[in-house]
Amino acid sequence: MSAAPLPAALPWTAPPDVDLAPAAPCESPGAVVPTDAVTPPSVAERKRVLENLLRARKLQADEPPLRVEDYRQRALATGVPELDTLLAGGFPRGELSEIHGPASSGRTGVLLALLARTTAAGALAALVDPLDRLDPASAAAAGIDLERLLWLRGPRVSGEEPQAKTLAEATKAVATLVGAGLFDVVALDLAGAGREPQRLPFATWQRLERLVEHTKSGLVLLAESHVACSPGGRALALEPAGLRFSGPPGPACLLQSLAARARAGGHRLREAELTLAAV
Amino acid sequence: MFGGLHSPRALPEAGALVAVARAFTPRVEARAPTPVLLDLTGLGRLFATPHELGRALIAAAAARQVDAQAALAFTREAALVVARACPGLTVVPAGGEAAALAPLPLALLDLEPEQQELFARWGLRTIGELASLPPSALAARLGLAAARLVHRARGEDAGVLVATPPPERFETTLELDWPVSGLEPLAFLLSRLLEPLTGALAARGAKAASLAYELGLADATIHARTLRPAMPSGDARTWRTLVLLDLEARRPKDEIVRITLRAEPTPARAAQFSLLDPALPSPEKLAETLARLDAWTAAGRSGSPRLVDTHRPGAFAVASFAPGPLPRGRRDASPRGPRVALRAYRPPRLAQVIVRAGVPGFVAAPGVRGTVTAAAGPWRASGDWWDRAYSREEWDVALVPGGAFRVFLDRLRGQWFVEGELD
Repeated sequence: MSAAPLPAALPWTAPPDVDLAPAAPCESPGAVVPTDAVTPPSVAERKRVLENLLRARKLQADEPPLRVEDYRQRALATGVPELDTLLAGGFPRGELSEIHGPASSGRTGVLLALLARTTAAGALAALVDPLDRLDPASAAAAGIDLERLLWLRGPRVSGEEPQAKTLAEATKAVATLVGAGLFDVVALDLAGAGREPQRLPFATWQRLERLVEHTKSGLVLLAESHVACSPGGRALALEPAGLRFSGPPGPACLLQSLAARARAGGHRLREAELTLAAV
Repeated sequence: MFGGLHSPRALPEAGALVAVARAFTPRVEARAPTPVLLDLTGLGRLFATPHELGRALIAAAAARQVDAQAALAFTREAALVVARACPGLTVVPAGGEAAALAPLPLALLDLEPEQQELFARWGLRTIGELASLPPSALAARLGLAAARLVHRARGEDAGVLVATPPPERFETTLELDWPVSGLEPLAFLLSRLLEPLTGALAARGAKAASLAYELGLADATIHARTLRPAMPSGDARTWRTLVLLDLEARRPKDEIVRITLRAEPTPARAAQFSLLDPALPSPEKLAETLARLDAWTAAGRSGSPRLVDTHRPGAFAVASFAPGPLPRGRRDASPRGPRVALRAYRPPRLAQVIVRAGVPGFVAAPGVRGTVTAAAGPWRASGDWWDRAYSREEWDVALVPGGAFRVFLDRLRGQWFVEGELD
């Protein structure tokens, strides 16, 4: 067997006829690339761009706060312009707020909008649901990032109203979640619990108010009627204002939207009209 | 001198051959369960001749129910190949490696399928035939790897022995002189055990994916549990809190006389933080929080809701809560505006519905009662006939005292239900 000649040394350096200039972009074949286009930006230039980016971001109210920023300055917006105006920016952090209203007043839709806004910005949210009422399909349709939502479901109850023990467990879980400081929104859904929330000791809500103070979390109660709200919190009252169907009753008729009237504030009540689109 | 140990039969346990080798030398290179390469340097002081050493190796393997064949040679390559080819004990004399390998089949060199096919076409059958080829000529045709193959066929070594580290067990036990009954004294003992354990993990760049604890009780029973948080942790304080929270929920029946902790190591991963994204919760803090919600998590009532790939109404899953970093572009999604949500009744409430002209006219169910003023429907859905079939007619109805509800007729059972409230 004869040995074949070994290949020549590999050309580690390009021969003089090879052009080492960067290739033109694919979109414009043959375009001449100016020499300054490939010059890396200077340190000052990079610093200026970064500062601009940070400044622009700080001015966007809907973006999550930066690491070093004071969280409490940024209210938790719902993403619904009418409501955010009514609530002076949204639900405040470090306070106990509530959304209350009768059945089909859009209270769950508003809460889901708040959770969607919070999770879409990358923050975490928790929903304590002692009556197990959350419909994950509705939550996904509202735009909630389900991976960022911690859902605590109550046990199945045979009667219409939950036992006092279930609600006490739920408030205890809320206290744990608020104390952890991991969640931007902690919501407690008490709608449909009848008069049970009012029967809970008032100290329960005072304790939760104290716990949520000086944290980045906003604690939001969802109820049928007023339960509790801290002095700095927002109470949003909703009333149903009718349903809109796509046409006369028949096989082609669709539920189109749900209208609601929202009121917020203490001695100076402000009102807004709200429309929730049907899924 | 090097030794090769090989078992042509299935091993009673995966690490049996390595364990035999470790009884002779710490410098062992395990190539899968078998063969195993041993660095026998220095053993000449204990064994008078190589044959004596080889017989001792085979006897030690037999004691562990391993039918082993051994080869001793002055190169690693020769020791490994001869051990695989020749039964019993073979001692290759110094300088006789090429001659020992020459009659052996070429397949023992673990060639690539393409190389095997090529050498078969060239008419090469034995290692000796390959060894006789000039390495430079082979390299010119097949590349440098082929030249290295010729050196291997001649029993020459390339590279160094890469010793396989012994498997590490992150386990610690404390026998107590006096039994402990409360959680408070136990907390101090746990810290004393956990700090060296997590320190040992950190020294190897690892964290604990799970921690198993066994408490030997005064009544001679064992209280054993395994904690597996969503994220690995290497923090002793976190693990201590998790163990104490778990013990609070499940108290041991008697006083504790012995504590054993066993950590399952996993490589620690450093996460790159983003300046512009909100910080993810620390895994330790998240695990602690979830452990504090034990009443909810133990009953499977906490987690992240997940949609499942089905049209069955109300179908969903609950996954463990472990949020990851925000995917790029997710924040650019435009807000969808408020939507009508369903407040689901689980299970749906059995209802009595009066139908007028094919449309629900009156609905009565626990907590829901009224005359229908407007209705949208019917929307028919059916499926899952191969499993738990469903077939239903769905209506969205507005009732006179107030409220809008979703009701449906279960066509298989002929019964009406209220699925939930539209809110």
